[in-house]
Amino acid sequence: MIIAVGVIYFAVIVGISVWAARRTRTASDFFVAGKGIGLLALTVASVSVSVSGFAFIGGPGFIYAVGLGAMYIVLPAAVTNVMGAWVLAKRMRLLGEARNLITVPDAIGARYRSPAAQGLAAIAMLVGIVGYMATNALAMGVVINSIFGVGLGWGIWIGMGVTLAYSASGGILAGIYNDVFQGTLMAIASVLVFLFVLEFGGGLGDISRTILAHDPTFLGPWGKLTPLAALSFFFVFSMGSLGQPQAVHKYYMLRDPLQLKWYPLLKTLGLVLVLLLYFSVGIGVKAFVLSGRLPPLASPDQATPSLLLNATPIILAALVFSGIAAATMSAANSFINIGAAIVSHDLPVAFGRRVKNELRWGRAVTILIAVAAAITAQLSGTMVAFLGIFGWGLFASTLVPALAVGLNWQGATREGAIASIVTGLVITLSLETAAYLKAFTFPAGVTASAIAMVSSFLVFFVVSWLTRRDAQSAIDPDVRFVMEL
Amino acid sequence: MPEPVAQKTLDMTRRASLGALIVGISAIAVGYAAALLPRGTPTWAPWLLALGIPVALGAIMILGAARGRMGIGPLKYPFAFVVAVLAIGFCAALALPATESPLSKLWLGLPARAAIVIYGIGLLPIIVLPVAYALTFETQTLNAEDVERVRELGRENKARSEGQSS
Repeated sequence: MIIAVGVIYFAVIVGISVWAARRTRTASDFFVAGKGIGLLALTVASVSVSVSGFAFIGGPGFIYAVGLGAMYIVLPAAVTNVMGAWVLAKRMRLLGEARNLITVPDAIGARYRSPAAQGLAAIAMLVGIVGYMATNALAMGVVINSIFGVGLGWGIWIGMGVTLAYSASGGILAGIYNDVFQGTLMAIASVLVFLFVLEFGGGLGDISRTILAHDPTFLGPWGKLTPLAALSFFFVFSMGSLGQPQAVHKYYMLRDPLQLKWYPLLKTLGLVLVLLLYFSVGIGVKAFVLSGRLPPLASPDQATPSLLLNATPIILAALVFSGIAAATMSAANSFINIGAAIVSHDLPVAFGRRVKNELRWGRAVTILIAVAAAITAQLSGTMVAFLGIFGWGLFASTLVPALAVGLNWQGATREGAIASIVTGLVITLSLETAAYLKAFTFPAGVTASAIAMVSSFLVFFVVSWLTRRDAQSAIDPDVRFVMEL
Repeated sequence: MPEPVAQKTLDMTRRASLGALIVGISAIAVGYAAALLPRGTPTWAPWLLALGIPVALGAIMILGAARGRMGIGPLKYPFAFVVAVLAIGFCAALALPATESPLSKLWLGLPARAAIVIYGIGLLPIIVLPVAYALTFETQTLNAEDVERVRELGRENKARSEGQSS
């Protein structure tokens, strides 16, 4: 049954990709779907790329291990979508209209009239994408191996091969419509699992009572984390959301800017549905293991597989496994596309050149990035996990001040933007590397991502203030007009 | 020539929100710096994050939403509500005593402090913020006239770049 559902899932992906490939004719089609995506499709696609395999496997496992403290990673979803809409969506979509921009570094370049800032932002994003891609490739390998039993190595290559096929042929258009299919699948699977867990556990009250009888700290407001650690998660995953290119890049694609009106509401509701699994499996499996209804887990990451293989109906297990594959593939596709745009568009612009055929280069770079990610994913698990950890933090610390604050504050300067991007890049890389090499350990609750983001903000403000003399005159009139709307 | 009233209001709103953003981020920075002290994390450090995070998030939302003569107009109520919900939620979780036990009274299936976190911090803003965004969209965020003016700019930019390349 699981194999049959898996085969159907991949067949639908191929069908959508062939259709999209026939409609992709220009670089704008390839990178921003010709700015022609409707509200509902964009919303579901955006939900899909916002939720990686972590929400289905690592997240529930994290709740199982540390209790409610793990919820501080997803609780920011209550504010992040509407915050992104107010801070970035309108201005980026209108800049796309006025300047025909297609990438996130494009917006930084236009705001500060600076190819250097655009190039630095592009380099920072490329470094982060390597990490994200490798972890998603590895996750794909794990899921495909679970479904088809082909081995981890082949799982990585098959998963990346399918993702590459639709990324290279249909670009973001294939990605968006595959995301719509995948996001729908994820939401259905998540809601069904949530309802199953409540039914199986006799309701949330009974699940809580079981946990409280054995391990009351688990249901404390911070779980087993320190308050500082839980609050730190909230900070990094709320403020940091404004720098995640896979979500921010989507603002360019909406066909009609006025449709932004309903985008935050629909996306927030979609995210809540998809995240029901994260919460319900995390606390449900804890209660079921404590009460002896499920066997003890070999590791926290076994929370979702253990529930699926030991308790749920097989059709639901098949749906969820397909949902997990969907989550990893949609995230990988989005990052491949953004990475290709950086190499074929942003970096040449930063060096004062334009490639003649961005579409052809985009397709070629797409293949290179996918192959590099698949090879990186074959490295040892700890190295890949390390690469994945700093992805979110790197995007947050390098992009949030320059992009999110910069597009809303005319006093921000080119020097401030460049200094903050460099600060985020250097601090994230050096602290994460030092921690990985065990040169030192952070106190509980302090992370490299948080320190890098705070430092990047402070450097941005201080350098902008020190260089404020020409700030107003360094903004092009059309960009200023969009900033004042 | 005197500065137009609209520009003054806009600048005041943006300036205040920028100041609040700097204060919020600075509070968070001090909280982290305190945690790095050799004696370990002081008990007051999480309180700085509990207050700094809502202030910083509220400030950056106001910075993004400020527009023309109205500043943030009626959005001041949902913003104030959400900042208060986050701050009260975090502070309550820090301040309330740990009383979780099998005999705890449950609120919608969770003990009190967990319910404050999940339903208060996690769900209340969802009910308020996206609805406020949609209800004020035309007056506060974007309308057809704005879009047309930007499209006109786009046409001018395109004509200029085509003129330069020909």
